[in-house]
Amino acid sequence: MDFSVALQIFLSGLNLGCIYAALGLGFFVIYSVTRVLNLAQGEFVMLGGMLTVSFYTMGIPLFSSILLSVVITALAGAGLYRFIIYPARKSSGMTKVFLTLGCAFIIEGIALRVWGWEFRSLPAFFNTSSIHLWEATIFGQTPWVIGITLLMVIGLFFFFGHTIQGKAMRACADEPLGARMMGISIERMALFSFVLAAGLGAIVGALITPLTMTSYSMGLPLTAKGVLAAFVGGITRVEGVILGGLVYGMIEAITAGVIPGGYHSVIALAILVSVLLYRRRGILLTAGKG
Amino acid sequence: MLVSIQNIREIPKKVASTNRQYLAVGIFAMLMLTIPLGAGVYPNTVMVEVGFYSIVTMGLILVMGFAGQISLGHAALFGCGAYVSGILTTQYHFSPWLALFLAAVFTGGVAAIVGRAMFRMHGLILAGVTLALNLVFFHLISSLSDLTGGAMGMMNIPPLSLGGFTSQNLLFNYYLLWIIAILLLMFSLNLANSRVGRALRSLNAYAGGSEDAAQVLGVNIMKYKVWVFVLSAVYASIAGSIYAHYTRIIEPGTFMLQFSALVALMAIIGGRSSPWGAFLGAGLIVGIRQLLQEFIPALVGGPSGSYELIAYGIILVVALLFLPQGLFPIVQKAMPKKKAIMS
Repeated sequence: MDFSVALQIFLSGLNLGCIYAALGLGFFVIYSVTRVLNLAQGEFVMLGGMLTVSFYTMGIPLFSSILLSVVITALAGAGLYRFIIYPARKSSGMTKVFLTLGCAFIIEGIALRVWGWEFRSLPAFFNTSSIHLWEATIFGQTPWVIGITLLMVIGLFFFFGHTIQGKAMRACADEPLGARMMGISIERMALFSFVLAAGLGAIVGALITPLTMTSYSMGLPLTAKGVLAAFVGGITRVEGVILGGLVYGMIEAITAGVIPGGYHSVIALAILVSVLLYRRRGILLTAGKG
Repeated sequence: MLVSIQNIREIPKKVASTNRQYLAVGIFAMLMLTIPLGAGVYPNTVMVEVGFYSIVTMGLILVMGFAGQISLGHAALFGCGAYVSGILTTQYHFSPWLALFLAAVFTGGVAAIVGRAMFRMHGLILAGVTLALNLVFFHLISSLSDLTGGAMGMMNIPPLSLGGFTSQNLLFNYYLLWIIAILLLMFSLNLANSRVGRALRSLNAYAGGSEDAAQVLGVNIMKYKVWVFVLSAVYASIAGSIYAHYTRIIEPGTFMLQFSALVALMAIIGGRSSPWGAFLGAGLIVGIRQLLQEFIPALVGGPSGSYELIAYGIILVVALLFLPQGLFPIVQKAMPKKKAIMS
């Protein structure tokens, strides 16, 4: 294998990996604060993409459209917590999973009503569809995907590791009683985690729309991939999610490069599930309950 | 731990009296088997659909309601039955009945292997893993295009036939499906009442059990979980095979995550604690879909698909918030009491 092919595979793996990692971050934010597995996360991503396309086609500049769609999606996240999860905050994890699934159905239905079943796309954020880098070609969107994922990672890492607010949020899941005794409002922190996750999801949606296009039904598949990436790396740590996403993306890019004929999705998913079976708490072996 | 062990000891041996259950199944069977004679083509088509969903949901209830494990990948098991049946009959010219049987064996075998690995994990990870496995199945049948026709799907799958009737005949298909559904219902009810059923309930945190405590008491939890998953896979595979031979066209999109989510929704709304819940859930959801398809175009205009999804979501959320045990306990209470029947 010569250098340009290897570089090509590496770059597309990095691109995919960053997408999966960014998808996984939403699950991390909600899970590490509330221990809820949010199956509507993929719908937030879809919503972010769809709204951005709508605002953009209305003539609003791209970055204002993204901002608007992030705000609206974050509101949807707040609604999910306040009206669906909050009333059931005392029930089991299984109940909450299915509540988020119900929310996923509702969002999907609304999206189908508003936008129909067509796929929609956006132009790349730079006005170039591809960039030549040494001897490899990458999508024009790739620098944005990598850059913004990096920004989100650094932001979350700093927020959860080094700010009072972030530490308070983690405490809600790790030691709910203790957190309450320290005067932390668990409900408010949970609400904030849903808003944050929905907002991040919307950014990811806008980011990947130029690459993959968006339709109403792509929420659940995105959820499945994001959850897998998050669990494989270790859903309770930012590093874990990033690692899981990058591993997933690299495996998919390598199999796509080496094995022809569209088997790369199957093989990558199967390898990831096997890794998860072998390392139940994620590659990083995170502490606490799996 | 001691409390949990005590709880497990208090799990009743039987869920319900055997005779009453047989009576209920008998009445249900008579009802289901006489309805199509008087009904037209449209209601029967709808009831066939209810039958498919009921069988898959019943399988899911064994895993979710009995053993307390989350599965969001039952579409893959349903699809596995459908595709194995389709491949064996179109490519290798097996008899459809033999194909149905072999598909069930194959799907059960796959479930045994996957289950052994999968049930090393518990709780929410299972939700993620089963979703991912469903996606694996979808991509697998989409890319194995020599065998499965890829994204275009398979066509011209031969129908099941018996004594001059084929499953292209609506009534034949109705009876085939519902007789199997009722037999599986009987089996599930007996299973719930048996030693195995009690062992399964001892795993289920939502029925007062606890996996750790059950293990301490000597229940081989891995064995029971895998067995119940295999059984559930066989249910789904039988429904899938009949589906393939009934519609005669299958395509990968049918067996995507949405189907799995829908089946889980039916199990929850119908009531996870009893196989009867499957029929309630499937009947309610398919009924609502038909109503919406009937009235939405007239009221609002346009297709009803989006309203169906919104309705499913709202029903699921409302059910979980206000009726976490589903419809079955309500129906059970409304049934005449033992004394009323005796007198």
